[in-house]
Amino acid sequence: MTTELDPLIHVPTRLKIVATLAALPGGDALSFTRLQDMLALTPGNLIIQLRKLEQAGYIASTKTGNGSARKTTVALTGKGRAALGAYTQALRDLLGGLDTGATSPGNTVDETGEDTEPKRRAEIATQAGITLAP
Amino acid sequence: MDPVPRTAEGGGFDPGQAAALLDRATCQARRQFTPLTPALFAFRAVAALVVFGGLWLSVRGQHPYTGHISGWAIAVAGVLVVINIGWTAWAIGRAGTGVSGPAQRKWHAWLGVMTAAWIIGYAITAPLYHGGVSHPVWGLYPASAPLLIIGLAGAAAAAAFRYWPLAGTALGIAVAAAAAGFGGPAGSWLITGIGLCAVCLGIAAFTAGRQRRGMVRP
Repeated sequence: MTTELDPLIHVPTRLKIVATLAALPGGDALSFTRLQDMLALTPGNLIIQLRKLEQAGYIASTKTGNGSARKTTVALTGKGRAALGAYTQALRDLLGGLDTGATSPGNTVDETGEDTEPKRRAEIATQAGITLAP
Repeated sequence: MDPVPRTAEGGGFDPGQAAALLDRATCQARRQFTPLTPALFAFRAVAALVVFGGLWLSVRGQHPYTGHISGWAIAVAGVLVVINIGWTAWAIGRAGTGVSGPAQRKWHAWLGVMTAAWIIGYAITAPLYHGGVSHPVWGLYPASAPLLIIGLAGAAAAAAFRYWPLAGTALGIAVAAAAAGFGGPAGSWLITGIGLCAVCLGIAAFTAGRQRRGMVRP
């Protein structure tokens, strides 16, 4: 079971970038300006985040044209798509652990008769960095 | 081992928030990249019912059948067809802005095939009219034959391109058109309208459901 969240994707801006590019069919690319419009990011912020993703091999960027006609397109690579798949699975595992715990009361009584389920849920939540409501 | 990264950038971003953000970003991107929106299909469903229902209303009381269509039915049909073409062109343009690659080229090829099918499907009614075919034929043929041709050509092309939802839609149009052929010269218009409306509502519901499906929480 994969339960580690990829630190490169686990940042709100980069998660949105990767999710947006993953919505395109494999092999298709998106222009920098359209991506910027869709995510409502400043060019500087988008460039920084794209650079980090490109250094990891998660996206590939292509520059075409010269001068004012210069155009940059970005596409999710196979490695990036696989990383997002693994990240999604890790999220499901982490959140599924909590969901399962919440829907299976009565199965976790220990030999002393005490229900250990709240303790188990608290442990999973602590691992996942979630604060559970009392 | 802590499964949640503790970086300065990701601080305070828990998995629950990440799942919600991932699902929201995915749904938004899908909505923006698809030219075939549920709203457009819902409009087409209403338009098909109004256009073909109007044509049926204008010919249903004819004894003997003359095939004469009232001016108001033609005007309503013309307006709705123009709106549909305009909306479709805008939606295709919006979805494809800034997108490039093999899938985009395949989509353009599909659009070319469908444009040709629509033109050929309706263009062949002109020689029939010019040739002076009988009125019942003139009633039956334009109501069902062009859509039968378009539906079958579209289904074959969509299957070749592996656009399965579109193949199902096109096949549905062909079935509705074939069924309309049994409705008689006047009734064929109404059957075509109801059939197209049902097919468009079906694909609108399917598209809406698919766009809402998240990656983490299906």
